[in-house]
Amino acid sequence: MRQDVTARRQDGYLALRSYAVIGDGRTVALVGDDGAVDWLAWPDLDSRSVFAALLDSEHGGRCSLCPADGFSTQRRYLPGTNVLETTFTTGTGVVRVLDALTLRGRGLGPSREFQRRVEAVSGEVRMIWEVRPRFGDGRRRTRISWRSGVPVATCGADALAVRLSHAGDPVVDAGAIRGSFEAVPGSPAVIALCASHQEPLVFPTVREMEARFAATIAGWEKWSSTLVYQGPWREAVERSALILKLLIYAPSGAVAAAATTSLPERIGGERNWDYRFCWIRDAAFTMAALLRLGRSPEATAYFWWLIHATQLTHPRVRPLYRLDGGTRTVETTLAMPGYRDSRPVRVGNAAAEQLQLDSYGELLATVWLFVRAGGHLDPELGRRVGEIADLIGRLWQQPDAGIWEVRSAPAHFTQSKMMCWVALDRAARLADEGLVPNRHQESWREQARACHDFIEEHCFSVGQDSYARSAGSEELDASVLLGLLSGYGETHSDRWRNTVKAVRRVLGRGPHLLRYTGDDGLSGTEGAFISCAFWMVEALARTGQVEEATVLMDELVGLANDVGVFAEEIDPETGAFLGNLPQGLSHLALISAATAIADERRR
Amino acid sequence: MSFWVALAGGFAGTLVLTIILRTATELNLTRIDLPFLLGTALVENRSLAKALGYIAHFVLGLGFAAVYYLMFLALGRHDWWLGAFFGLAHGIFSGTVLINVALPLVHPRMGTPLSDATDTALLEPPGFLARNYGTQTAVVLLLAHVLYGTFIAGFLNLAR
Repeated sequence: MRQDVTARRQDGYLALRSYAVIGDGRTVALVGDDGAVDWLAWPDLDSRSVFAALLDSEHGGRCSLCPADGFSTQRRYLPGTNVLETTFTTGTGVVRVLDALTLRGRGLGPSREFQRRVEAVSGEVRMIWEVRPRFGDGRRRTRISWRSGVPVATCGADALAVRLSHAGDPVVDAGAIRGSFEAVPGSPAVIALCASHQEPLVFPTVREMEARFAATIAGWEKWSSTLVYQGPWREAVERSALILKLLIYAPSGAVAAAATTSLPERIGGERNWDYRFCWIRDAAFTMAALLRLGRSPEATAYFWWLIHATQLTHPRVRPLYRLDGGTRTVETTLAMPGYRDSRPVRVGNAAAEQLQLDSYGELLATVWLFVRAGGHLDPELGRRVGEIADLIGRLWQQPDAGIWEVRSAPAHFTQSKMMCWVALDRAARLADEGLVPNRHQESWREQARACHDFIEEHCFSVGQDSYARSAGSEELDASVLLGLLSGYGETHSDRWRNTVKAVRRVLGRGPHLLRYTGDDGLSGTEGAFISCAFWMVEALARTGQVEEATVLMDELVGLANDVGVFAEEIDPETGAFLGNLPQGLSHLALISAATAIADERRR
Repeated sequence: MSFWVALAGGFAGTLVLTIILRTATELNLTRIDLPFLLGTALVENRSLAKALGYIAHFVLGLGFAAVYYLMFLALGRHDWWLGAFFGLAHGIFSGTVLINVALPLVHPRMGTPLSDATDTALLEPPGFLARNYGTQTAVVLLLAHVLYGTFIAGFLNLAR
């Protein structure tokens, strides 16, 4: 898709739909369709940012690279990779830029490296670039100086060197390193940002950088060649898998919900959250997707991380954990204007303190999936699973904050109750198989029956002919579809078929789906939740409406941006992306919906 | 000062250290599990890893006791407080270097800050003072090592 991007920034900000993502399994960068890197947290995905123009276009830091004169762009990922190709077309020629956070390979390389390779395709094009680093979310002083002829930005224990090849002579001032050069065919240029944290910088040679870039492409191709999915929407599923891989934090195996913080759910609104944590609510989806795609190494690593992370709070489960498994997620706000004046900009997440009962269901559903896929559950883990089930037997009758982490008063959310039933059911089934001590098995079954009766008596709205958002409520909530997808109740029952209809009728906006109706303790509105729409696809497929599901899926897949990335939400009126991106849950839901349709077609 | 008494003290000290760490885990103060960390360097099966890890843990406990013995010998004294001090230094060294830096480098299943998308780490790295395993890990680790050193010195004093 060719796009004229001249003067597309509004008050310094690109539309969120304009961003592609690259990463290396440790961190993620957002690259705009004008060639600017507006977001990069270094050294890790959940570290403080070095480029955050996304949240503060003036002072946030940015790495820009584009033709000096007017241009249009066309983008794609190199097939099977997370290497981004941006082709700039100008009046004088065509240039392509390849962007990658390189994989380390063998030999001595920088601990983190971001390479931008410029190749003229035809004609001659004057290119300009600027690296304006702002360490510590722009709050710490960045110094720029020269080391052995290399411009280096430093700040405390962090340093960033700019290595150049055929990219012009760098000019350094107090805040930036910049340059320009003429891109001509046969003379590729490289601008590489080599970073270190708490160690000396490594200055790689041009040949080493070339070799590492080639190895990065080969590494991604090798990884994507192991994906086993052969069903419909293969391209979208593969891209989603590659994006999901970017959100897997390689040092621990945890999966981040998204790569950014505080991108607003409504422009100018207060619904801005830090998503650079691992949510237990995504666990079962993640496990199912990884297993379905044939990526059992990541599935096993994730399971191990999940088991270790939850040990500290055992038997209680927090809704979210840090990527290193820690529990400290104190929420603070940064003195930044936010994306297009959307304040506050938050780091940390206070939702970690909430009671979210659905997390327990997701955790035990994940254990169940892991075991069904041949995973080993040792006696100690079995004991822990049993203790979690005991806790759920005591907790399920309590109100909670629900999957959407509302900041209004706790309520008896239907989806939470359904996931409690799932937790108790899976524990009892694991006990059946001798993997969990069966001393309390009967009690779990009893509590599961009581939970089921509560849902059927209090959480079904006769007026709406649908499971309601919470007990005694007439409001609807798309998250109840997760009950269906997780195996609560009879899939083809009238209640589920009618719920699917009602949710689509009340919450649907074209192909989109709002999350819920009713109060959530926050002011303002929000867009349609992308993952909910994919859950609707899956719900339609699971309730036997495969043709309808296919039509909706076709529409939804087409709503991704030009390189297949989804954010958290979408504005149903304008199609603009809202919320953090890339959003793991959106891509997980896409994979799940595609595989569900493939399964149903095979039946 | 008997070498064998120092080893016996090392065995008892390792026993106490293990009990403290395990108790702290049960109390949800920390997620650290040294035998598990050591065992998974050898095998992936969790049960077998723990069994092998306990053996490795005690072998290391005896090895460090031998080092303590040599240091007591060099100083010509083995007061309980000197044992406690050695234990404190040992604990700090473990938390800052041995577990934090050295173990992830040699552990085939543990992530490091350099792990990237080509790796699939099964174990998260401990971090500085093993804080990734819980913020109170450092306190537990230091206490356990202080008692370990005290036990070795105490055994040598008892046998005097």
